[in-house]
Amino acid sequence: MRRFSHRLILILTLLPVLAATGYGQADLPMPQHYVEDYANAINDSDERSLNGILQELEQKTGAQYIVLTVLSTGGLPIEQFSIELAEKWKLDQKSKDNGMLFVLAKNDRKWRFEVGYGLEGFVTDQYCGRVGRNVLVPYLRKRDYSRGIYEANLQIIQRIASEAGVSLTGMPRITPVPVRGRRRSMPCCSALPIILFMLLIFGGMGRGMGWWFFLPFMMGGFGGHGGYGRSGSFGGGSFGGGFGGFGGGMGGGFGGGGASGGW
Amino acid sequence: MRNFGKTWVVLIAILIVILLIALGVFRWYVSGYNKAVNYEQGAEKGWADIDAALQRRLDLVPNLVSTVQGYAEHEKELFENIAKSREKYFQAGNRAGQIEASNQLTGFLSRLLMLQENYPELKANQNFLDLQVALEGTENRINVARTRYNEAAEKLNSYTRQFFGSFFCKRAGVEKVEYFEATEQAKSEVPKVEF
Repeated sequence: MRRFSHRLILILTLLPVLAATGYGQADLPMPQHYVEDYANAINDSDERSLNGILQELEQKTGAQYIVLTVLSTGGLPIEQFSIELAEKWKLDQKSKDNGMLFVLAKNDRKWRFEVGYGLEGFVTDQYCGRVGRNVLVPYLRKRDYSRGIYEANLQIIQRIASEAGVSLTGMPRITPVPVRGRRRSMPCCSALPIILFMLLIFGGMGRGMGWWFFLPFMMGGFGGHGGYGRSGSFGGGSFGGGFGGFGGGMGGGFGGGGASGGW
Repeated sequence: MRNFGKTWVVLIAILIVILLIALGVFRWYVSGYNKAVNYEQGAEKGWADIDAALQRRLDLVPNLVSTVQGYAEHEKELFENIAKSREKYFQAGNRAGQIEASNQLTGFLSRLLMLQENYPELKANQNFLDLQVALEGTENRINVARTRYNEAAEKLNSYTRQFFGSFFCKRAGVEKVEYFEATEQAKSEVPKVEF
């Protein structure tokens, strides 16, 4: 009985400590909003604005973009923390690999952009790194977390939107971080917006690299069908099903692209 | 006449039972066989992803080295080592050799990144910072691909050792695969960067 009460006391004292230090493995409940501010780092007006913009981004481009702040990653490297969450939350499911997750661990002083396969072509590691270095970190050093997170994520959002050829109405004016050294000699460059557009329409078709193989097919079948909705489960089932193992396989839409750093 | 009919019924019943059993055995065989093939494909795909990530890193190396070389001319030995392990990767005929060479390269590259502590001008070079982010991203991709590959390899390898699994693997010509384990040195020398 005494031992039991001892243990109870131990548990009772440990519980708040555990709760305060955060999450042992990367597990957080499914996000309810585009901005999940566990660390209370973002002020209300920025949060509201970001939520609106990110919602519009998903409606217009299909990209699911989550902004997350935590106090700590619970001892995990932030790279592991973010990819585990991105996979667990299946940020790629709805719109096929254009998931995006920003994580800021306030007490660890670490940040990371996790980029889904579908966005890696133009939201490159270098670009994320530059946004982090030039936009995010200067604000973080001044302890202006809210501004830093807001401005930095707007850069990436703007990039995704302009690559998809849409403009977001809720978007304030920003000076974009220069995209230098884009060493993309792949022939897909000019076709990327078209490909993205098709990806949205034919949402369910192939994953990752898979859709490459369907490109000629898509082109051919383009004229035939009328009235595409944005939500693309259009014919997707039959194609996607058989091809699931190609890009998606076990891991899903994230392959570890992006950039991280501290301040 | 009635006896004759009864025999038929019994015979047909036995036949059906035998057929059912045969069908069951057949399905069991097919599913066991396919499992072996699927596990192998899973591991193959995992390795292909690793290969892509490693290739990406190898493509990055010349650029990175030439940038650093401009600032740190004295580190000849390190540059040579990097070139050597890169060469070694290309020459390696099997997975084990490739794994060893890339683990070596990981160690050397992290030392290359650490040079920035001794050469402050390097730290201020935008091109270097970009390359560094690219390298980190690639290392991270390798890590992710490695974890996934090892998971697939574990499934395959345990299947090859299971009681019926080993039988099916032999039938399908599936062999166990090498795990991709990071060396201790590589683990402790993961490039760490403060901006």
